[in-house]
Amino acid sequence: MLELHGLSKHFGGVRAVDDLSLTVNQGEIFGLIGPNGSGKSTTVNLVCGVFPTTSGAVLFEGQDITDAPSHRVVAAGITRTFQNIRLFGDLTVWQNLWVAQNSAEERSRGWFGRWLGGGQSGRGDADELLKFAGLEHRSGELARNLAFGEQRRLEMARALAARPKLLLLDEPAAGMNAEEVSQLADRIRALRRYGMTILLVEHVMELVMGVTDRIAVLNFGQKIAEGAPAEIREDPAVRTAYLGTADA
Amino acid sequence: MADFLQNCLDGIATGAAYALLALGFTLIFGVLRRLNLSYGPSIMAGVFAGTALYMGFNAGLAEIAIATVIGAVVVGAYIERLCFWAIRKDMAVASMVSSFVIWMQIEEAVTLLFPDRTYAFPGILADAVVEFGPFFLRASSLAMLAIAAIAVLGLLALIYRTHFGLAVRAVSENPEAARVAGVNTGLVTFLAFACASALGGLAGFLIAAGDQQITPLFGLWATFKGLIAMMLGGMGSIPGAVLGGLLLGVVEANALWYLGVETRDLVAYMLLFVVLTFRPGGLMGQAALMARRAAESRV
Repeated sequence: MLELHGLSKHFGGVRAVDDLSLTVNQGEIFGLIGPNGSGKSTTVNLVCGVFPTTSGAVLFEGQDITDAPSHRVVAAGITRTFQNIRLFGDLTVWQNLWVAQNSAEERSRGWFGRWLGGGQSGRGDADELLKFAGLEHRSGELARNLAFGEQRRLEMARALAARPKLLLLDEPAAGMNAEEVSQLADRIRALRRYGMTILLVEHVMELVMGVTDRIAVLNFGQKIAEGAPAEIREDPAVRTAYLGTADA
Repeated sequence: MADFLQNCLDGIATGAAYALLALGFTLIFGVLRRLNLSYGPSIMAGVFAGTALYMGFNAGLAEIAIATVIGAVVVGAYIERLCFWAIRKDMAVASMVSSFVIWMQIEEAVTLLFPDRTYAFPGILADAVVEFGPFFLRASSLAMLAIAAIAVLGLLALIYRTHFGLAVRAVSENPEAARVAGVNTGLVTFLAFACASALGGLAGFLIAAGDQQITPLFGLWATFKGLIAMMLGGMGSIPGAVLGGLLLGVVEANALWYLGVETRDLVAYMLLFVVLTFRPGGLMGQAALMARRAAESRV
């Protein structure tokens, strides 16, 4: 579904991502792990068109989306969350979802229907997402007033509001306690049951090992291993590069 | 006391037009975080399009109003493409300076096309006066107030009730998050700019109709009034722009009455100075300023 072919991003002399190739299949939860600065977030940013690639290609459902502007990436069916939350603090919870309702179906309603509309058409979707995120009682609250965990859940709901086919989660468990991580794992599994494909970039090993189907490990921008969670756990290269030194 | 109230009444009518100018400024500043100094001159160019229609074809008021708005929007779009779209987002000073250069260009172009400096503009209900009790208001001021009020309410509805307005507010607050949420930020910015220019064109029409004349210096005047009114209310704040415009109008009308015409602008600048000293974010912009500072210190 998502294919990266020889993707590279150099910042000056630093090879943040170096000749990375990987394939995420439809319906799977794919984990991307690695030590700090190994290029995980850069990879997500390249897929989403945050900054231009140095070389290589990004294909989504066979369509070349390399260096496409962010709103086109969303229109193609890919949305994301951020490592450090980026909500619209001055908008309410429900408006944060409304602004992100940019699915192909919404777009097809035409200029006037969509842009001058009052948001009633997306209300049902938004209510469902609020329930999914456990925020139905917070609908009218300004996003800035939410607790940290609620903001993380809202950001995930906002990413789902455009009805993506592929969801990129950039360290969704950062700053969460064990209870919240286990709820997050339940949500990710629920999404897979709905048929969502997920690329999960994460530091918290219990989450990655617990929910993913396959994992790729990055170190210094390069892929050093790929396989099922059990294989990754046993891989000697991974153990030296990552597991031996990090929090697992 | 009666004088003061009468002044306030006159001031509110003028202030309504200032509020339109300030709204245009604040809309552009809100989505772009950059100042468009050429905002006034783009309006002036629109008013000259209107006056050309008036003198050349003796057109009616509605046609002239539409020509003024379209003229301002076309010139506004030209400024947006040249000074903002084509210049990198992090080069705010380059955008501001180039918008100043375009200002000179517009003024020169208009002076070449209209060499007589001062041109006639049709008035709305000229000379008629509406009296209520001890107070009276020129009918043209009343019309100005009514049209400006409708435009302000229309803009508020657009910004706070529609998906487009939501996108504008999202882009204002966090352009990167808006892009990732699937908002076409370039298009939203362009359309917000066009809305601002349309409001400016309407303000220009109302003011020129009140004065019944127009000169190329109107551009400078409109940029000054709009900028002061916006900064009084708070840069980027929509309610602030309305408040700032009305306040500026009322203060100017009273200064004119009690202190004389030569001190009117001086008093306006003093007011701005005092407000910015005690509330650097403007009257309504303080909360936004504080929130931005807090967000920056958190990172």
